[in-house]
Amino acid sequence: MAAGPTVKKIMDTYQGKIRLVIKNYPYQYRDYSHIAAEASLAARDQGKYWEMHDLLLKRSPKLDRESLIGYAKELGLDTKKFAASIDGKKHAQEIERDKKLATDMDLYNTPTIFINGRKVVGERPFEYFKKIIDEELKNDKKY
Amino acid sequence: MKRSMLVMVFVLLAVSASAEEKRYQVPLGDSPTLGPPDAAVTLVEFLDFQ
Repeated sequence: MAAGPTVKKIMDTYQGKIRLVIKNYPYQYRDYSHIAAEASLAARDQGKYWEMHDLLLKRSPKLDRESLIGYAKELGLDTKKFAASIDGKKHAQEIERDKKLATDMDLYNTPTIFINGRKVVGERPFEYFKKIIDEELKNDKKY
Repeated sequence: MKRSMLVMVFVLLAVSASAEEKRYQVPLGDSPTLGPPDAAVTLVEFLDFQ
């Protein structure tokens, strides 16, 4: 799971002051978690990571192979290259690296969010994040 | 002079006490990134699309 609309609102509200970094932590026992992560990175190879990221969050849990290829087509990607990438698990190593990082950090839930290193586990309302972000901005001399 | 030193120490103690919340170091690597690299706030999200 992900904090889709909340993160989107944060990025809109604090545009220019905040940077978002995504780590994949696909759950082992969900059918499409891994292939969806592969799809996001396959889209990245074609310069459309964020478009795919947003689309996956919007259409989740409809994330089977055929649906993913449909999304790639919708975004104007080269679907042949895209399909080869997800079928060949081209980004497995990168995904495993993120998973190892997550387990090394004892994370057990998605979404888990770090705001300048401060941990927020699970879904929280926008106001919860806003309070932390405003504190961080206040502590930063630039603003 | 001595007095101002004492005040300084007190202020430093107060600041460190209020900032004791743990901060984790998350290596960013070459993960997908949106927004300015020198932004004051970095938000790292571990997610599962499903």
